[in-house]
Amino acid sequence: MNCTLHLNGTETALGVDGKDMLLNVLRDEVGLTSVRGTCGIGLCGTCTVIVDGQTTASCILPVGLADGKEVTTIEGVPSDDPVKVAFEKANAFQCGYCTPGMILTARAFLDENPDPTDDEIAEALAGNICRCGCYVKIADAVRLAAGMLRDEKVAA
Amino acid sequence: MADPRSGGSLRYSQDVAVEGMWHARIVRSPYAHARVVSIDGSALPENTVLLTPDDVADLSMYGCQIRDEAVLSRGEARFVGDPVAVVAAPTRRLADAALALVEVDYEELPAVFGIEDAVADGAVLVHERHHVSENDAAYFGIRPVDGSNVCHRFRIRHGDVEAGFAQADVVVEETFTTDGAAHVPMEPHATLARWTDDGRLEVWSGTQTPFNVRMDLAAIFGVDQSRVRVVCPPMGGSFGAKTFVRLEGLAAATARKAGRPIKMVLDRAEEWQTLNRHPSRITVRLGAKADGTLVAKTVTCHADTGAYADCGPGVAQKMGFAAPGPYRIPNVHVDSHCVYTNAPPNGAYRGYGQMQSIWASERTMDIMADRLGIDPLELRLKNLLREGDAYATGEVMHDVAFEECLRNAAEAIGWNEGREGKGLCVLMKGMQTPSRASVAVDALEDGTYRVRCATVEMGQGARYAIRTMAAELLGVGVDDVSFPDPDTDVSPYDTRTTSSRSTHMMSRALVEAVRNLREDGRTGVGEVADQGGLDPDTGQGIASSHWHQGAAGAVVEVDEETGSMKVRHVHASVYAGKVVVRAAAELQNEGSIIMGLGTSLFESIDFADGQVMNANLSDYNVPSITDLPRITHDLVEREGAPVHGLGETALPPIPAAIGNALQSFGIRPRSLPMTPERILDAIDERDAQAGTRELEAAE
Repeated sequence: MNCTLHLNGTETALGVDGKDMLLNVLRDEVGLTSVRGTCGIGLCGTCTVIVDGQTTASCILPVGLADGKEVTTIEGVPSDDPVKVAFEKANAFQCGYCTPGMILTARAFLDENPDPTDDEIAEALAGNICRCGCYVKIADAVRLAAGMLRDEKVAA
Repeated sequence: MADPRSGGSLRYSQDVAVEGMWHARIVRSPYAHARVVSIDGSALPENTVLLTPDDVADLSMYGCQIRDEAVLSRGEARFVGDPVAVVAAPTRRLADAALALVEVDYEELPAVFGIEDAVADGAVLVHERHHVSENDAAYFGIRPVDGSNVCHRFRIRHGDVEAGFAQADVVVEETFTTDGAAHVPMEPHATLARWTDDGRLEVWSGTQTPFNVRMDLAAIFGVDQSRVRVVCPPMGGSFGAKTFVRLEGLAAATARKAGRPIKMVLDRAEEWQTLNRHPSRITVRLGAKADGTLVAKTVTCHADTGAYADCGPGVAQKMGFAAPGPYRIPNVHVDSHCVYTNAPPNGAYRGYGQMQSIWASERTMDIMADRLGIDPLELRLKNLLREGDAYATGEVMHDVAFEECLRNAAEAIGWNEGREGKGLCVLMKGMQTPSRASVAVDALEDGTYRVRCATVEMGQGARYAIRTMAAELLGVGVDDVSFPDPDTDVSPYDTRTTSSRSTHMMSRALVEAVRNLREDGRTGVGEVADQGGLDPDTGQGIASSHWHQGAAGAVVEVDEETGSMKVRHVHASVYAGKVVVRAAAELQNEGSIIMGLGTSLFESIDFADGQVMNANLSDYNVPSITDLPRITHDLVEREGAPVHGLGETALPPIPAAIGNALQSFGIRPRSLPMTPERILDAIDERDAQAGTRELEAAE
């Protein structure tokens, strides 16, 4: 089928099998190796992308269901975005494989909840596995990002 | 400069692509032990390649410690998941489809599961004979027992244990077990192999052991090592999973038949069929005088290495030589065995067998403390190895920090404010010995420097640490030092990136490399070699040129109705000597603690007749952010001390610290993980014993 994704703000037309998972299409057809698979069953959060504002496991989303929708990967988040900057400042990664999914999840979460408690942060990231075990610093990064985003709002 | 990890631009082993490559999938045995009768690829479409045992009949056996593996197992599958054929097609999707079209007929053979059955008289033999490998990972005097499933047995003979136990006022004996566990690196195993026009083999692979892989590939294909090139892009985690030959032989053999590059990336479920952590059974007998002085200890270890030895002999050996623990014990015997079964192979796993024996030995210390009526901290402090003491191997201990680490852990969990629900553990952990590290530093024309080094990056931060140390020696900024992917064609020899050795060894090799660069002006090579090793029959010698030292404390609560345990706080104290990159050191401590929590609480591979029943991340749980207790840790540094490796030290003490915290309630866990079912059993056992004592008192 012909499928059009509004991918990171650019209309991207693809000739694909609609049953192919979005993860494989983004990796193999578009060449976005920042989108990475781990569990293959939508549980670990690594392959997270944002589809029409919702964090979505791209490993279990047939691309046909994303036709015409806004899809954001880590490339769609500016490099000076407070969440990205906060992850770097807090050293919230080791191998970095889960990091794009982690940042996208945190980004969407902070849009909804700009002033989260520690428990709310943990709950929001419960579906994102980091086997390196960077969780302590990931939580630090999300707290830091929340503060930076609030400061931005005040400044604006 | 933005970090490539936050922007998603870091490319891993699975992202390597070359012109004309095809994708391959592995046809795997559904039986734990079976002869392959026939392989039928007649249903395969054109534009596919099928690799069968006939295609690899000319290839040699391999194995990093025992030469027991053949590419495609020569038609005899020894575990559920053993590769019996490979299909390749132009895309991954076509390869997936082709996989379903290969028909294999098997004749099922008797199989053996579990340590007890594997060492029983008349057990099914997984391999008839055990040939010790020529690979340099088989350096330590491997002692297979022919005609049995034991592919290595290691001994420590120190003092006279009979005489020692005769002096003891109290003797405790307990048997402990640990279940198999999965590494679960976020990135699966990934390898790309191609043959160049002039007949060289080039492999891009996520591996911690580039030179060992090169050695084994050269042996498999019967070519000189110089005809094989291994390049190691960064890995999305490994934890020991990506060590020694995994997919490299299969990809190279398929590439040879296909006449084109072949890429292999495992499906998640295949990870559990590729390499796991050794299940173990360990019996400890410990004797002490009434005042707490330890006088004798015997330890018997069995490690289930699965169907192929891999580095299991080395794991069993380290399990054995860590078993005495960091104590002065005048009489020690250790017997450690590596045992074949028809399970998927088990190999290196963060801590390399030492978590298992530390669990057993440190639990025994608290059982002993209980019997003696001595505070577990005091019992440890009374017996700890101190500067200049000899270990059970005869080696003299230097740069000793056990007491400081143990006191830090005790203080962090408020040991002196009441010890209910609290537990401690102290450990010593060996580093790869003997080992050799070399590194080259080049001055480039643009005024910057390049480090050529075979230390691989898997998230542990080694490249940044090595760049930092090189920059310091060169007097430049870290951004002026580059570190391209390790490549056996250009990176000088290094034993491997394991056992938390790289930062320590490279810190020393770099000093010489930079000195030689200053003399040469263009390039400098530095090399350090640590001698040592143990007599495998007596365990005497140098087990570790450099000991990793640490301790942990845990605070738990338990619901005695349900057996559910809540870990409230874990603290790890690790001897760092000198910290190179603080954030990375903290991350290694935190990551080790969190992995240790998984091992302690719920990680377990569930087998049924050799089949892994939970080979997915729904049924096999790893810690998430919601599983964390309060986590604290410290890095002990000393003026003038060398750089100590930190990649694993905080993992092995976590299970025993938690188990000992349960022991403060009289609950005595003996098996890992400490699931609610096992805790309930231990509560029942405690209550039954209390009931028996009451009855005896009434009589």
